[in-house]
Amino acid sequence: MIRMLSQLASLLPGIIALVAALLVAALFAWALAIILRRSLAGIDFDRRVVQAGFPAEWSPSKSPTLLVTRAVAWTVMLVGFLVGISAFDLDLTSQLVARLFNYLPNVLAAVVVLIAGGLIARFLARSVLIGAVNLNLQYARLLSIGVKWLVTVLAVTIAIEHLGIGGGIIRLAFGILFGGIVLALALAVGLGSKELVSRSLDREANKASTQNVQEPIGHL
Amino acid sequence: MELDAIAEPELERIAKLGGADLVVGVLYPQRAEETNGTGNAVLPMIREALAELPKVARTVVVCNNGAVPITADDESLPVVSCSFAPPGPSESLQQRVFSAYRTVLKTGEQIGARGCAFIVSPSQSATHHWISRLLQPVLELGFDLVAPRYTRHKMEGLLNRSILAPLHRALYGQQLHNPMGPDFGLSGKLAQRVLVQAPRSNPLASMASAAASGAFQICETHLGARIQESTDWTNLSSLLAEVLGPVFLEIEKQASLWQSLRGSRPLPAFGSSGPLSEDGQTVDTRPMIESFHLGAQNLSDVWGLFLPPTTLLELRKLSRLPADQFRMPDELWVRIVYDFALGHRLRTVNRDHLLRSITPLYLGWIASYALEMAAAGPLEVESGLERLSRAYETNKAYLVSRWRWPDRFNP
Repeated sequence: MIRMLSQLASLLPGIIALVAALLVAALFAWALAIILRRSLAGIDFDRRVVQAGFPAEWSPSKSPTLLVTRAVAWTVMLVGFLVGISAFDLDLTSQLVARLFNYLPNVLAAVVVLIAGGLIARFLARSVLIGAVNLNLQYARLLSIGVKWLVTVLAVTIAIEHLGIGGGIIRLAFGILFGGIVLALALAVGLGSKELVSRSLDREANKASTQNVQEPIGHL
Repeated sequence: MELDAIAEPELERIAKLGGADLVVGVLYPQRAEETNGTGNAVLPMIREALAELPKVARTVVVCNNGAVPITADDESLPVVSCSFAPPGPSESLQQRVFSAYRTVLKTGEQIGARGCAFIVSPSQSATHHWISRLLQPVLELGFDLVAPRYTRHKMEGLLNRSILAPLHRALYGQQLHNPMGPDFGLSGKLAQRVLVQAPRSNPLASMASAAASGAFQICETHLGARIQESTDWTNLSSLLAEVLGPVFLEIEKQASLWQSLRGSRPLPAFGSSGPLSEDGQTVDTRPMIESFHLGAQNLSDVWGLFLPPTTLLELRKLSRLPADQFRMPDELWVRIVYDFALGHRLRTVNRDHLLRSITPLYLGWIASYALEMAAAGPLEVESGLERLSRAYETNKAYLVSRWRWPDRFNP
């Protein structure tokens, strides 16, 4: 009993140091978050980021500023936690930090892939939507959503693979999902919707050619 | 397709002339059947045009025929022909024409020409009279820009009538009927100004605005009927993007000029409009209204990035109207065009997306115009277009206000 109490007592300074480090980190994170939020609001960060094509719905309360401030605050908290842990055992902390830093490039790569994937998905979806509307395709919205989700799923799969989560299962699941979608579309076009698709394509082709021949319209 | 592409012998002939008075660019793509045994149908046309001018002018012809080189076998008229290589497969017809304009301007600058003429309309409509009519005011009366006026049916030149001409009139205060030509006469002074002002951008979009921005004399000349290429409806959005993109860029460049201008004035015009054949063809507006409806259903998210809520509401109301009552008010169309120009400047959305997304709205305007003018005679058409131009002028304050304070609340 005495031995156990003495062991607990020996841990007490470490616990106090951890709590103190977390408190200081929390204070620091809070102050930093406020400064950052005001600075970003000053430069109209939300509007600029959304204009650049970043999907606002990926952020809490649809605010990229909130996303950045929270990410910075939690990073400060994580650093504070590591400083606190170092009070217990220096070796353990250095091992943890080493592992964390080894893993960090994967996290960064995953974040970059997700952001790039989001931007590309949005750009392609909008391109397809506008192009399909201008071609008078009734299913323009459906095409656009399909493209958006396809690129997004691809980006998420690549990001997860970078993080080393799931290993081969993710790759296999994506293969099955992607292959399944393509097969389903091929079957739908080849069997069920063959006539519908051909009628639709005929209608579009006829529409374009009739307009070309009959309309006495010039633009320039 | 720049000046370097002119063959060495042609450059030597230009040097031998020791300069030239005129450069004539014949920039429509030539077909094999239009060439004769000795070379090309272009040279006889130029010779006839030069014969109509009071003084013999040393002339350089820049011909955009691509495949067929032309030769001047007759030395009685000082003509040097230049042909340049066919364009790359990725270049559209509009881009080819734009770079051909630049080649003509650069040739004029190199040889110190007093005037340039551009003939872009197809050879079925462009005659030698067109060249002399475009050059005479430059050489004899000291005008710097001679813009064309065509005799048109009511359903022709609609992009020009709905956007280009009234926008130019409202912004620069000049009632120019075809600010983007495409057939022009230019003085050497203005040609140099265009090259300096628009070293890389589209010279066609810069000519009228460059003339308006300096102390240049501008006039119009009646050329007659112009045969149009048939509309490629599947590529209408590309056409709109290629034409409106440079126009909006020019508006951005000239912002300090047009913000201070109010009202507009007519320009001196030479010649008279010729008779027009019967305009009895009817237009089926149904596919255009369907395109507008499809756009209103699907593109409101995109439009919402640069169009104010009231405009979106008006568009929604318009999309609920039955086809026979479909009318787009002038003020709504004008504000849409102004907001697109503003969105282009602010890059609220990718510029190519913005320009292509105007297609259903433009088709909506055509449908509304076609329904309104179905039984209208030439005078009624003119008065309708005058009303539209006045709406552009009246709403210019809206553009100026939004241009200066784009973040201000705008319901």
